[in-house]
Amino acid sequence: MVLNLKSERIKIGNGINLNLVKTDKFKSNLLSFYFLRPLTKEEVTKNALLPLVLKRGTDEYKTNLEIQKKLEENYGADLSVAINKRGEKHVLRFTVETVNGDYVGNKEYISDVFNLLKSIIFNPLLEDGYFKKSYVDQEKENLKRRIESRINDKRSYALDRCIEEMCKNERFSIYPLGNIEDLPGIDESILYNHYNNIIKTSPIEIFFVGDYDDKMVDHMKEMANIEREETITIPREQIMAGSKTKNMVYDDLDVNQGKLVLGYRTGIPYEDRLYNGLLIGSDILGGGPNSKLFKNVREKESLAYYVTSTIFKYKSIMLIDGGIEFANFEKTIDIIKEQIEEIQKGNFTTDDIEISKKSLISSTKSIKDSIFLISEYFFSQILSNDNRSLEEIIEDIDRVTKEEIVEAMSKLTLDTIYFMRNKKAMNIN
Amino acid sequence: MEALALDIKIYESEKLKEKLFYKKMESGLKVFFIPKEGYTKQYAIFATDYGSIDNVFVPIGEKDPLEVPEGIAHFLEHKLFESPDNNLFDKFSKLGANVNAYTNFNQTAYLFSSTDNFYESLSLLIEFVQNPYITDENVEKEKGIIAQEINMYMDNPGWRVYFNCLKAMYNEHPVKIDIAGTIESIQKINKELLYKCYNTFYNPTNMVLFVIGDLSFDEILKVVAKSQKNNYDKVEEIKRIFPIEDKKINTQLIEENMMTSAPIFYIGFKDLDTGFKGEKLIKKDLVTNIILDALFGSSSTFYNDLYEEGLINTNFGGYYTGKESYGHSLIVGESKEPKKVYERILRLIKEPSEKLLLEEDFNRIKNKAIGEFLMGLNSIEFIGNNFIDLYFSDFLLIDYLTILESIEYKDIIERFNKHFTEENVVLSIINPLE
Repeated sequence: MVLNLKSERIKIGNGINLNLVKTDKFKSNLLSFYFLRPLTKEEVTKNALLPLVLKRGTDEYKTNLEIQKKLEENYGADLSVAINKRGEKHVLRFTVETVNGDYVGNKEYISDVFNLLKSIIFNPLLEDGYFKKSYVDQEKENLKRRIESRINDKRSYALDRCIEEMCKNERFSIYPLGNIEDLPGIDESILYNHYNNIIKTSPIEIFFVGDYDDKMVDHMKEMANIEREETITIPREQIMAGSKTKNMVYDDLDVNQGKLVLGYRTGIPYEDRLYNGLLIGSDILGGGPNSKLFKNVREKESLAYYVTSTIFKYKSIMLIDGGIEFANFEKTIDIIKEQIEEIQKGNFTTDDIEISKKSLISSTKSIKDSIFLISEYFFSQILSNDNRSLEEIIEDIDRVTKEEIVEAMSKLTLDTIYFMRNKKAMNIN
Repeated sequence: MEALALDIKIYESEKLKEKLFYKKMESGLKVFFIPKEGYTKQYAIFATDYGSIDNVFVPIGEKDPLEVPEGIAHFLEHKLFESPDNNLFDKFSKLGANVNAYTNFNQTAYLFSSTDNFYESLSLLIEFVQNPYITDENVEKEKGIIAQEINMYMDNPGWRVYFNCLKAMYNEHPVKIDIAGTIESIQKINKELLYKCYNTFYNPTNMVLFVIGDLSFDEILKVVAKSQKNNYDKVEEIKRIFPIEDKKINTQLIEENMMTSAPIFYIGFKDLDTGFKGEKLIKKDLVTNIILDALFGSSSTFYNDLYEEGLINTNFGGYYTGKESYGHSLIVGESKEPKKVYERILRLIKEPSEKLLLEEDFNRIKNKAIGEFLMGLNSIEFIGNNFIDLYFSDFLLIDYLTILESIEYKDIIERFNKHFTEENVVLSIINPLE
């Protein structure tokens, strides 16, 4: 009885859709609201600040303390908000996950949690007609610290920095949590007006995954019952084929390990017939422990503990990153380039292809086992206007030929090399 | 194969709607299985009761205790992925299985997840863990890779502040030692030492295999019977030697500077009530975690006061972790003024427990703990990793909810008064550079 994943999409308002995935496989239910915005310098910081303020208090539950107590009473219902970029779209997500009532002998309590989520998104706590000033001020400070803390995770910081430099003149370079410089210009009234604009104009996708009945569906429809005009349309990402300028960027920081990132343009949009070939090519290069980079950079030369290759679907770029000794900078780059050339020349086996296909197919299948990934999967299908089922996606991966992989990988052009290093340590060596 | 069906034990939990199958093989290896109907993924973990803290022991067949270099259990984990034909990863990859391993203070675990070819992958897992191929050459090669792994952790402020906290709490206990060792200590590791550790701790009697997925236990047992090695020396009990750990803390404060955006801190309460496993340990663990959540969680007055004052952010919280020979509560976060947070905590714990921990708060937090555990059971990885961890503390995951439900308000008060004192508390801070 393998679950055949199906989502029922119901239009419940202007630019508002409710997506229902019925399953009793899990011990919980999940409800998510996704708000879609364009990723722009003008609104990124306000978008990022908004969920933080909304989480602080609502008309009904005035403080975080009251919200948290309500969640705990309801068997530890898990509330999360997230601010992400998907290509050049800014996505605000509000989610609650609740224990399936069968396991705690209480089927009714979920409507309480629905009401709480509705209250957080649509009925914020107001003071003199705007957001509560102290909440906004505190969350501005918290957001500032969160942006500053990017540096603490050196690996993801290095990846972000490479993207920033590589896509300098494109919206993809915008950091999804915004900019510290914008914060002084935002106050409770500016943010509240922006909030109203978001509620009025953003496309909204609602997902429920779990067990439901008609009464619950009615409740969910009622949650997002808002009158509004036309919503905004968000443009598709621009894809640059080839690179105009070659970049070499160094950050000098007080670190023990060098972080190398190579940024490539693929020129292959996700709608393209070569996209799956690119995915497999990248996996052969730097996917799992059977990949060329793992074998050559790590196992053969002992240069790195991690070295991987990743495709950024919506923006059609590929990043390779590894943590290395400072002195091995050039040697590592040489090996990476050499391995890419090998793939471009077709120097890989049928086994390599099979292995990568299996790995991609296996992670695609695994979506079915996670309540969160199921909702994320259907959401990304909507973002990319893709109507294929999981089975069809798997078939498409399986059909990819060696020629397509070579053709796709031959389109790669190196755009930016980023290296985080430590000048002090390098002089000593 | 009817013989295999003998001696199978089945534990069932109506509340969890889960079943657990168990069989002890003749080799001494214990095999557990939880069926998960409708799941696409399968997951298997083959683990040994051997972690970074087991660094002084009597090797099998010898009489005298041996102290081994720091980081050797983790080094050995890396080395078991070697094979004469050097293509272990390829073999798993060809089956579409994702193989990995981890070493922590108490266990080394080898695992894979798959969506197809489960039984072939299981056979491969058992075979590679039971057939080490360690050479002088591949030991030397690994030193470069692990040095990069150590360097990566050195640049991680969260990891450093954690280990400094352990170093502050413990005088002698090896839990204070970095799991991967140091760049110096791993240089002392060689083939002979690795085999000594292997032969002692990878005996089937010291190991457990856990499997979860939409699978058949009969098939699993057939694969185990066929794949496992049987020519092991029987060992009664491995002699592990732990230094006598003073009840007192080592030092009250460790501060360090490194590249980080804001000061981060760990406040540790060393557990003086140790020396036992099983239900008693798990109950203590749960009770202490409920206290920490009630005192410092996002629904506590303390959390919300300090948040309003700008002293903490959403990264703040506390948790307890404990095994037979050690245990500690950790309260962690990021703050402009970690010392102020520390003082506020010391002030807080001096208040009378009945005032601090209200019964209604306890009931609410207990409800939350029940809900979180149930939701965790959605994930086969959560079940597998926790099963192994609890198993080596002589406890079965399937009994977890029963223990959690049995906790009473008075347990909380009693534990609070014993555990949260000014004598056993330490502070570790990482400050930004300059």
